[in-house]
Amino acid sequence: MSDEQISALVDRMARSKGVDVSPDLIQEAVKRVMAVLSGESAPSVISSLKRLDPRSDYPIAQKRPDLVRTATGLKLEEINLDQVQAGKISFNDIKIRPETLEYQAQIAEAVGRPQLAGNIRRAAEMTRITDERLLEIYEALRPYRSTKKELLDIASELETQYQARACAAIVREAAEVYDKRGRLKSS
Amino acid sequence: MSKRQKRFQVLAERPVNKDGFIKEWVEVGLVAMENPNDPKPGIRIQDGKVAELDGKKRPDFDMIDTWIADHCIDTSVAQEAMALDSLQFARMLVDINVPRSEIVRLSVGMTPAKILDVIKKLNVVEMMMAMQKMRPRRTPSNQAHVTNLKDHPVLLAADAAEAAFRGFSELETTVGVGRYAPMNALSILVGSQTGRPGVITQCAVEEALELSMGMRGLTAYAETVSVYGTDQVFVDGDDTPWSKAFLASAYASRGLKMRFTSGTGSEVQMGYAEGKSMLYLEIRCVMVAKGAGVQGLQNGSISCIGVPGAVPSGIRAVLGENVATVLMDLEVASGNDQTFTHSPIRNAARMLMQFLPGTDLIFSGYSSVPNYDNMFAGSTHDCDDYDDYLVLQRDLQIDGGCIPVKEEDVIMIRNKGARAIQAVFRDLGLPSVTDEEVEAVTYAHGSRDVPDRNTTEDLSSIDAFMKRGGNGLDVVRALAKNGFTDVAEAVLGILRQKITGDYLHTSAILEGNFDVLSAVNDPNDYKGPGTGYRLEGARWEILKDIPQAISPADI
Repeated sequence: MSDEQISALVDRMARSKGVDVSPDLIQEAVKRVMAVLSGESAPSVISSLKRLDPRSDYPIAQKRPDLVRTATGLKLEEINLDQVQAGKISFNDIKIRPETLEYQAQIAEAVGRPQLAGNIRRAAEMTRITDERLLEIYEALRPYRSTKKELLDIASELETQYQARACAAIVREAAEVYDKRGRLKSS
Repeated sequence: MSKRQKRFQVLAERPVNKDGFIKEWVEVGLVAMENPNDPKPGIRIQDGKVAELDGKKRPDFDMIDTWIADHCIDTSVAQEAMALDSLQFARMLVDINVPRSEIVRLSVGMTPAKILDVIKKLNVVEMMMAMQKMRPRRTPSNQAHVTNLKDHPVLLAADAAEAAFRGFSELETTVGVGRYAPMNALSILVGSQTGRPGVITQCAVEEALELSMGMRGLTAYAETVSVYGTDQVFVDGDDTPWSKAFLASAYASRGLKMRFTSGTGSEVQMGYAEGKSMLYLEIRCVMVAKGAGVQGLQNGSISCIGVPGAVPSGIRAVLGENVATVLMDLEVASGNDQTFTHSPIRNAARMLMQFLPGTDLIFSGYSSVPNYDNMFAGSTHDCDDYDDYLVLQRDLQIDGGCIPVKEEDVIMIRNKGARAIQAVFRDLGLPSVTDEEVEAVTYAHGSRDVPDRNTTEDLSSIDAFMKRGGNGLDVVRALAKNGFTDVAEAVLGILRQKITGDYLHTSAILEGNFDVLSAVNDPNDYKGPGTGYRLEGARWEILKDIPQAISPADI
């Protein structure tokens, strides 16, 4: 959606609702929603990004702030005290987005830490899952909480609903091992 | 004996003889690191997968074997690493001509029994040499505990402010009463950022609650995510390597730093050591952590220190587990926490093992409060030991992570921390903090010097705060609105870390200007004398300048 299209949409919304809200504010809100909904966070886009170099790009906050956006599309410099006091920042603005985690995974890989990179990539997938669901899935992975089918269903959910393939793989593996070692819920 | 020898009578009264000692008992695993029942090192790789691990074939793998085989061991170097003679590799650890990177290239291809075989070849001085070279971050640092018997939020804020001001990089709190957790987290968050911006904080409670506080921005990192070395104890701890790995990623997904926790003696204490040595089981924990992809590990026996502390070579094994952690290229928060001895001599000797070589976090943590207020069952050193610790740094020219301070500055910073939390409570509708409380905590030694609070009111108000979705940004607004602009900036600075994720990397701490210092941009480059971290220049000027030293000009 282009800026013009957004403006038109905002204009229509403001008129049709008859609300007394500044168009700027609505426009800002719509842009943020669009940032979240847009394909920017799709895995295919991430993989085509240029890989980061730990020496020239880390810490990202100092060396590559241009790469960082919040989950809602704000720039790092926009998260400042003035904006907070003006009520322009919500807690949802202070969340990491998957692209940033992918950058950090690349740095971990480049310094020879493949497991840390893997962990951070699973984390990137998890940014799409709500706090509540994340805690529920963790609980389901604890010993004797789930049947094999329940775990396999969670793995499918992770894959289809959240495109969380690496997380799904961990859950599938758990289902197999728990089955073998007797750590499943007795049905 | 009818007639006692007088020297023996005196000895019997010495503090060390109030400690418990036990002879080794191999069958139940009450042995530090030399157990004939420990597996012999070995690996067989088939089609790129581990088919046999330390003499056990894949069909016989337990959960932990499976996790280590599939997630930890680098199979591309395993054959080369396992073929190396253990003695030769042990010598490489202390050889200044072999860089850290070459050690790590090989050690990540080793099995638990192989790592044990290597560490067994080192005496404690050699282990310290290995630690000096192998800890991931060049600059050593320290962590403090901030707790009190009453869960008194204002005292927590003042204590956190002082601890941060004294130089600790991380502060950890926990609770007496479970429901206080979010309030304690909030209190040390505000206090820490008053004392020194950039200090990161955690609140050690049950896993799911701990994560939810991090998600709300009340904490910046987590550490109490325990792993164990036998299947049965792992499951008794209500987790598996898979659930813990999932949890680890959940933290990172919210931009939170985290490390796992383990320690020698936990398995034998929980009754399922499978007749193996404590260090062998602990190395399995280290490798579970490595496989999960967490950046670091807190170990050094921690809450089980009484167990290795009671057997021969046990304190050596505790240093050995720290060394195993850095061999796996993980950040080490190296214990020195729970009290384990009545003897001040033993206590200091145990601490020197990590203090002398320097670790990522020498204590995990140092009790910044009197030990009677320490809700982690005490620490080897507390606030009453500050001056001894500062003098040790000065005597030996060692950076133990603490800086000398002036009394008037500490009074000022404690007072400011207390007033900051007073303002936050007022603004967030939490029970009021009186000026008398502020005054009391400013000058307090511990919770005995502060008035009780209305616990019921505190608890119901913090419940309500959590229920309505209260979060770190509310704290920033409250501080800014009440004139604590610098503290507000600092808390916001902590929240901003969760957007960039720079501090998710190995051994990351934050400097005063929020620049990240980690094993990525501050890698340990020790290669013998004249290299690596040296306490010199401006930092040495600060550390050696203790207020009680007389200046020649004054004589």
